Amino acid sequence: MLSSNKYEEEFPALKRKINGHRLVYLDNAATTLRPKRVMEAVSEYSLNHHANVHRSTHTLASEATQMYESSRQKLADFINAKKEEIIFTKGTTESINLLAYSLAISNMIQPGEEILITTMEHHSNFVPWQQIGKLFNIKIKYFPVKKGIFEPDDYFNYITSKTKVISITGISNVTGQVIPINLIVEKARKIRNNVIIIVDGAQYIPHFSVDVKSLDIDFLAFSGHKMLGPTGIGVLYGKKEYLEQMSPFLFGGEMIDKVSMEDTTFTILPFKFEAGTPNVDGSVGLAKAVELLQQIGMNNINQHDKMLTKYALEKMKNLDFLEIYGPQDEFQSSIVSFNMKGIHPHDVAHLLNDIAGVAIRSGHHCAQPMMNELGVKATCRVSFYVYNQKDDIDILIYGLKKVWEWLK
Amino acid sequence: MVKIGIEDLYSDIILDYAKNNKYKKEIPASQKAEGKNLSCGDEITIFLKVDNGKIVEASYLGHGCIISQASAAMMCEIIEGKTVEEAEKILNEVIKMSQGKEYDNDLIDGLEVFSDISKFPMRIKCFTLSWHTLEEAINNQD
Ligand SMILES: Cc1ncc(COP(=O)(O)O)c(C=O)c1O
Repeated sequence: MLSSNKYEEEFPALKRKINGHRLVYLDNAATTLRPKRVMEAVSEYSLNHHANVHRSTHTLASEATQMYESSRQKLADFINAKKEEIIFTKGTTESINLLAYSLAISNMIQPGEEILITTMEHHSNFVPWQQIGKLFNIKIKYFPVKKGIFEPDDYFNYITSKTKVISITGISNVTGQVIPINLIVEKARKIRNNVIIIVDGAQYIPHFSVDVKSLDIDFLAFSGHKMLGPTGIGVLYGKKEYLEQMSPFLFGGEMIDKVSMEDTTFTILPFKFEAGTPNVDGSVGLAKAVELLQQIGMNNINQHDKMLTKYALEKMKNLDFLEIYGPQDEFQSSIVSFNMKGIHPHDVAHLLNDIAGVAIRSGHHCAQPMMNELGVKATCRVSFYVYNQKDDIDILIYGLKKVWEWLK
Repeated sequence: MVKIGIEDLYSDIILDYAKNNKYKKEIPASQKAEGKNLSCGDEITIFLKVDNGKIVEASYLGHGCIISQASAAMMCEIIEGKTVEEAEKILNEVIKMSQGKEYDNDLIDGLEVFSDISKFPMRIKCFTLSWHTLEEAINNQD
């Protein structure tokens, strides 16, 4: 890890004062703070090298193309993929939409086959499948994550020889439960070897090192802005064999081979899926963010998250006015969802901010089916990342006590 | 300028109204409307019993934060006994107040505890939910 004063230098927002208090940023599952070096890399690209990519032959165009493609290589190395298996998107949401539509229009799901999702998914890994199901008359099966806790053994009963696609999050963005993806892959492939396994990595990738080859998943979606990168850039990883079979979802410039009045043929991977001028600035920023994560070390990040989550759970369990959701064991990572008895999460979040400078999330976390499983309308959520320290949690606890005193 | 603190938004008056259940009930066979804050999932139903152009009874049901609940309770208290026309005038002034515009203080008797709501941009929707729903309830006469 970097030492804490280094983090203050790297993340200027950490020096902000909120109502006279030091900012305690605990909303990392929504988005992470920006490191200076990432924004400097974006700025350097924008001001000195920017041109359209893959098109012209002048110097700037060549530099821009090289920077874009070396960002792609960086992302490929990060998850042990091939370069042509990395499609840049604007984030997890676009990645999953692209994938859902493309699988459907490419007839990769035959009549009678099913798509399996769960009720703990973020809306972006729920609504696209649900809507694809309606539009293309494909059966969607929903695994109920009862009481908000994912039970692998129950889940395996939902996988059958009819299951063509499985899409599941790597970490619940509500409870922080870490889902045993390797186990799911192993079991699912035994039931049906060619089942397409998709992981929503929006919460997982920022916290765990992933090797898509040894994990043997088919697709992986994630967002740059949850892993120290800029907004508007994300990734869809797909196994080359699948991507080659699939039809593009967006049509336009830069993705064609030959265009005539009658028809168009499409270019090679990954460009076939990247119609239009891409977000080069974002890709440069994301590559820089990945570099920083690698410098800190994904294993260190993982250990640090674990330590903070354990510490937070211990302290929060002592507050009898809190109801805490999720497994509350070693399989919970970097996220704690809770409610203050009888108090609406918005009130808790607003007061924590103003009394103690603590930034937390309140609401349904874009996961209404999961809220139903938990039997609540909304929760408060704290989430940690590399720059958080134990004393951030101490301030959270102090703030929670104050809020309870005020509103109880 | 006086600094607007969180103490003003979560004052005792507002906390009292939020906890007061006097207006939290259903009025059978009444004009009603449902409102929702999409971003936070808060929901409210407003019931109005209107007789000869006069609101003889007003109530609400739903769930939400302290701001939205207190706002609904105060709203019911203020509009009960007023004509529909008067209620609409109050509504207009309340919306102006929530936007930080000039408004007629005399008309919104009691609601000035929320006069600084416009300084809390993330909470304006919590405050106005019941008022926007009132507007619909007024229009929902069958
Ligand atoms: C598990 C999960 N999936 C998907 C998303 C959507 O990510 P984005 O909004 O960057 O597309 C999020 C973000 O909140 C998430 O937590």
